[in-house]
Amino acid sequence: MSADILSFIIFLPAVVAFGLMITTKHVETVRNIAFLTTTVILALVLKLYIEFEPSAGMQFVTNVPWIASYGINYYIGVDGFSLTILMMIAILIPTAYLLLWEGRTKGYWINMLLVQAGVTGSLLALDVILFYFFWEVMLLPVFLMIGIYGFGDKVFTTIKVTVYTMLGSLLMFVAMLYLGVAYHAEFGSWSFQYDNLTQITSLSYNERIWLFLAFLSAFAIKIPIFPLHTWIMETYKNAPTGAVFLLSSIMAKLGVYAIVRFLIPIFPEIYVEFSAWFVFIGLFGLVYFGVAALMQDDIKRMFAYSSASHLSFIAAGIFSLNAFGINGALYLIIAHAIATGALFLLVGIIHDETGYKTIKDLGGLAKQSPIFTTIFAIMLFANVGLPGTNGFVSELLIIFGIYEFNHTLGYISALTVIIGASYMLWMFQRAILQDREGETLKFRDLKIKEIVGLAPWVVLVFLMGIYPDIFIDKFEPTVTHYLNDILHIGAAK
Amino acid sequence: MNELIHILPVSLILVSAVGLMFMSMYENKFSTKQYITVSSVLLILALILTLIPLGESYALRPYNNIFNDVLIFDSFSNFFNILLILGTLLTLLIGENYFRSREYFKGEFFSILLFALFGMMLLANANELVTAFIALEIASFAVYVMVGYHSEDSKRVEAIFKYLVLGSFIGAFYLLGVVLVYGATATTNLSEIAAYIASNSSEDMSLLYIGLTLILFTFLFKIAAFPFQSWVLDVYRGAPMIITAYMASTFKIAIFSFFLRAVLQDIAPMIDFWDSIMYVIIIFTLVFGTWLAITQKIVKRMLAASSIVHTGYLLLAFIALGQNIHAAYATVFYLIAYLLSALGSFGIISHIISETKVRVTYDDFKGLAKERPYLAAMMTIFLFSLAGIPSTIGFIGKFYVFTEAINAGFILLAVLAIIATFVSVYYYFKLIAMMYFYPTKEECLENDFNDKRVSTYAIAFLAIITIVGGIGSAIVFFIPALNIDTLINMTQIAIQSLFIKS
Repeated sequence: MSADILSFIIFLPAVVAFGLMITTKHVETVRNIAFLTTTVILALVLKLYIEFEPSAGMQFVTNVPWIASYGINYYIGVDGFSLTILMMIAILIPTAYLLLWEGRTKGYWINMLLVQAGVTGSLLALDVILFYFFWEVMLLPVFLMIGIYGFGDKVFTTIKVTVYTMLGSLLMFVAMLYLGVAYHAEFGSWSFQYDNLTQITSLSYNERIWLFLAFLSAFAIKIPIFPLHTWIMETYKNAPTGAVFLLSSIMAKLGVYAIVRFLIPIFPEIYVEFSAWFVFIGLFGLVYFGVAALMQDDIKRMFAYSSASHLSFIAAGIFSLNAFGINGALYLIIAHAIATGALFLLVGIIHDETGYKTIKDLGGLAKQSPIFTTIFAIMLFANVGLPGTNGFVSELLIIFGIYEFNHTLGYISALTVIIGASYMLWMFQRAILQDREGETLKFRDLKIKEIVGLAPWVVLVFLMGIYPDIFIDKFEPTVTHYLNDILHIGAAK
Repeated sequence: MNELIHILPVSLILVSAVGLMFMSMYENKFSTKQYITVSSVLLILALILTLIPLGESYALRPYNNIFNDVLIFDSFSNFFNILLILGTLLTLLIGENYFRSREYFKGEFFSILLFALFGMMLLANANELVTAFIALEIASFAVYVMVGYHSEDSKRVEAIFKYLVLGSFIGAFYLLGVVLVYGATATTNLSEIAAYIASNSSEDMSLLYIGLTLILFTFLFKIAAFPFQSWVLDVYRGAPMIITAYMASTFKIAIFSFFLRAVLQDIAPMIDFWDSIMYVIIIFTLVFGTWLAITQKIVKRMLAASSIVHTGYLLLAFIALGQNIHAAYATVFYLIAYLLSALGSFGIISHIISETKVRVTYDDFKGLAKERPYLAAMMTIFLFSLAGIPSTIGFIGKFYVFTEAINAGFILLAVLAIIATFVSVYYYFKLIAMMYFYPTKEECLENDFNDKRVSTYAIAFLAIITIVGGIGSAIVFFIPALNIDTLINMTQIAIQSLFIKS
């Protein structure tokens, strides 16, 4: 059982989705079974989390031939990095279901399940072709979700997001094939396992740079890192709440994850050599998106920029070459997923209830809905990085990391956090707090179901903020392994 | 006796074709359904006969005194015969709805279809240039007739004339090539040409080079590579839909079967000579095909144009043949993948338009997903496969082709092909967007049709194979039957039988 538990976690949602697709037409049944599936997965992931040995490296490995003639294996496993993100996905998705509960159609829920299968699959895949397989497959349900349930110019949006992400993916695909061929030329057999690909020595410096960039293009588009971000504005604005939640909270994080999983081990020296550039690009993105967020009137677009801003910060942390930065980035992945995910879902509720999306149309929500406002505020504070929340811990760690990397950049990063605080709080004041007459006064408060859904997130915000060690202990050894054994630069602590 | 088993399938198809011709003399006595049933049964019989020696590696020239060495029967030809029979059978089954809804499909049509198949199978078995020409012409003439079969369509005249005239013209090139080859080597037998190439230095062979290059042009014409692609759009447009499917998938396989044999077994050194020509041709085929596909508004023309792009991918694997033999497996695998997805996609459209005459342009497909969720889902699967999205067999096919192209050192071409793939996402996904993201057009609303038909099941079968072939049995562990590795093993056995000296 324990060996196959990962496969079970990956394929259960897909199997359930296909089963539901052909058997029933009742939306309620579909939704309930889908929700049940996600809770089963949560239980399995919890089991995994408890059994996981932090210092034992890759665990629960399954490695069976898939396309043997080209050495492609069905090779999955979990280490500290992926476990943390897996845990996050497993917790976020069922709660998101609770918040999206009413008024969706059958296809919506089936697509949600399929995305979960794809995301989990690419998270756990250790063979690059298998990874590519899931990486592409997870995009298709989102494509359908935006196209069918989106708003505005949804078809254009769908085509745009698909074309953008596919471009990156295909460049990555060429790079993968190139690596496979290089491995074949050097060792005489085919393999696409990432740990085998790390052993290739025959590639020239220039080839490595090109391959590195090809891989990075796919990940950077998904994250998105400046200047590859132009797809997110329409997408976050026109996509349905569920798709926005999945894209921003979960799929964007996989871009960051993939940098750590594949780029660092396969191209360690390129990674070290160019890290300064990426820290700089990350910080630039932080400021650029932050300023852009300040100027937004559409509340979803504002969150889109805010999300991109934080993701740039995560990227800066990932490239900071020390334990503080990488730990912090990983921590911020979780913190940001929780905060942004919750905020997008809450904004989704505002939109569903009032029909308003712009900040100036809103206002006075606080009076109508104290619980809503409280949770909104908590997530906002977590997002801004107020002490006591998980956002604080992660931002602090990243700032330490960047400071250690380069003192000047460290100061800059510390200062730029202010931008985030200003647009968030300003929005909060205008959209939620300030008094206003009219439509928004009919706004309802959260239902019990939604409160139950959000409760674990609120708990996590504070638990991770006050007592981070219980989480960091799980992935710290993996980070140390990366720094010591792969990058050979020693884990500074 | 052993030799008889191998020649039986081809003979059976010939006899069946003639038999059906006689049957069609009594036109009023038999319905279209009966013709379809009879042809299908005969095809299945032939398929079983070809399946018997599957997986063995052999090469024999049966009844030497009768056939005079012009035909060769080996695992390679057997493998291709299976594909060709399967392609024809699936065409027949998918077209069931189409054939029955169109008055003009009379009994002799099925006889012509089997003659086409006979020609193609003969082509796969040909071991001599003139025999190959005759086989090619048997198949081509059958296809010419089928292209012009729609007696009420004004477009068919243009289609058939364009194809017939250009086809005959390029046939003359082939014959001229054969003459030059004969002039140089005093033989038209492939094995003897190979021996000639092996024993002479390249300076003595300029005549042979020119001759074979002329033959190459025929090949490029038949598979619609640049600059010989100009007929494709109009011919595919004018032909009945299901014939288009047949031409795009099965006929292409037959063409490849002969040229793969010729190149691999006999004239391998030629590949290097062709490298620079092919390089340019591939670039233009990909670019031009892509450009054509983007600009189309009619779905059928888009699929036709995109088949040019797929020709480009196939040629990419073909050019890599010179560097390593694995590229041959990639070519064959890609042919299979394309057979499935092209038959599926063309077939599904012919299935749809067989009862509704309005679904022609992209716009007409709006809202299909709401009306016919299963048909739309299957269409989506085939389009994914054509676009090379993972979890379909098209992805695996592209994976092989690109890997081998990179392996052979054609990195720029591979990158170009990937860019073409990237653009293809646009025109394939546009159709998916039409089906899923828009409400149905009014004039398409009222037509309801019976989905419980042979065609539907045949298409569903193809869709399942497309998916299973892409996921593979390692993941779908409860379906042991179709394994990608088994398929590759088969192609390997087939290709390697070419090198058995008999």
